[in-house]
Amino acid sequence: MSDRPLPLPDPETAFFWEATARRQLEILRCQTCKTWVHYPKPSCWNCSSGDLKPEQVSGRGTVYSYTVTHQDVPGYTAPFAVVIVELEEQAGLRMVSNVVDVPPEDVRIGMPVEVTFQPVAEDVWLPLFKKR
Amino acid sequence: MMRDVAICGTGYSAIGRALDTTVGALTLDACKAALNEAGLTPKDVDGMATYPAAGDSVPCFYVVESLGIPRLDWFEDLFGWMPAGITPVIAAAHAVARGACDVAITFRSVKRNRERPPGIGYGFRVPGDMQFRAPFGDPMTSQWLAMWARRHMHTYGTTEEQLGSIAVTFRHHATMNPDAPLRVPITLDDYFASRIVTTPFRLLDCDFPVDGAGAVVITTLERARDLKTKPVKVLAGEFATGPRPDWDQWEDLTFMASKYCAENLWRRSGLKPDDLDLAELYDGFSWLALCWLEDLGICPKGEGGPFIADGNVAIGGTIPANTHGGSLSGGRLHAISHVIECARQLRGECGDRQVKDARLGVVTAGGGLMAGALLLEGNV
Ligand SMILES: [Zn+2]
Repeated sequence: MSDRPLPLPDPETAFFWEATARRQLEILRCQTCKTWVHYPKPSCWNCSSGDLKPEQVSGRGTVYSYTVTHQDVPGYTAPFAVVIVELEEQAGLRMVSNVVDVPPEDVRIGMPVEVTFQPVAEDVWLPLFKKR
Repeated sequence: MMRDVAICGTGYSAIGRALDTTVGALTLDACKAALNEAGLTPKDVDGMATYPAAGDSVPCFYVVESLGIPRLDWFEDLFGWMPAGITPVIAAAHAVARGACDVAITFRSVKRNRERPPGIGYGFRVPGDMQFRAPFGDPMTSQWLAMWARRHMHTYGTTEEQLGSIAVTFRHHATMNPDAPLRVPITLDDYFASRIVTTPFRLLDCDFPVDGAGAVVITTLERARDLKTKPVKVLAGEFATGPRPDWDQWEDLTFMASKYCAENLWRRSGLKPDDLDLAELYDGFSWLALCWLEDLGICPKGEGGPFIADGNVAIGGTIPANTHGGSLSGGRLHAISHVIECARQLRGECGDRQVKDARLGVVTAGGGLMAGALLLEGNV
């Protein structure tokens, strides 16, 4: 666990990791056109507005795609599943994560999931997902 | 006023699994071979481009000094996420066309770093977009593109057998290429027996890492006519990406930037997929070649799997692809070998694996959010 790479928050992403440390999932939202913007950028990809604020999302989504990796990578012992979760707030609003309570070989596209938080360092909680 | 442009020379260094040669020496060997094929010397060169990617190769300056090139009027070291070794070739074709230089040498060299495991190192903080992937066990390109392939399988019913038929077909082509590092024929059984890297990709879905270099010389069509080899005309060279250029935010993971690149290619050339005699498609992973076939319009979207499994891309099929074995069996030269193979096919020099009456070929590179493509014509 200790050799898992940890995020290095920067001025554009700090809000995200500060929120997960509070066990909340926040995504930037354009205050002009209401588009959710992920990964965090200082301007909205839909309307170019610079008026973006973090807003809490439901944490519910579905598995958009997945891969079961059969070689070890830093912090992970094979086999393990990596998923792309599409959040229910917006088509195409996706994040990379893991599903904690499903064996890797049972992960499927379309599986409904919801966020759960796991501490990986004193100041870092990762947004992972469980089946719902 | 744009000038007509041609490939006039191609060359390789030694290619091997673990060569006891520096990447600089490999680069110079490839450049000298390409100039020699054209009948040119370093004194003739006035333009240069390379894609040194993340620092696995040498920059233009290294080659200028080592070859004894008196002066460059145009050069570009193309770093960052670009469509691999096709990038400097397209850039040089445009530079020669607009008159920035007259003879440009382009190269892509790769030397595997055997000290560092793939992906991100252990125990440190990860910056940029990778901070949203590496902490979740997702640091490798193979994983990112495996999730594109999986989405394609889900949407269109593409099967593991069909992915396997890509590996089997390209290996068959490599058996006819004396320069290919993997020349032992394989079957679908061998494919299914190869270890899983990250589903749906097995080892035989992944390109074969080698050390080596390839170089391509570009000049005007007019000058190329007076040189040692038959000119291969560059009809178009295009790049593209889309509105959400990211490995998982991309609008739909069942098609790639290749869709936009292909639209540019056909619009600007006035040609169509049916005009092609062969295709050298980027195959860093098997599925990329399948997706390129669809996105180019060579077969309908979603039908790449059956199209390949039915033998259409084999030599002798309707549109032979990756006639040198691709990166899967010809070695990971990062698409510069695809350019070289296409040029040599269009000159009719490929022996047992020669595509009969090959006149028009497409070369592609890139996967996911980046794409580049060249249309090449022989017998000009
Ligand atoms: Zn907006």
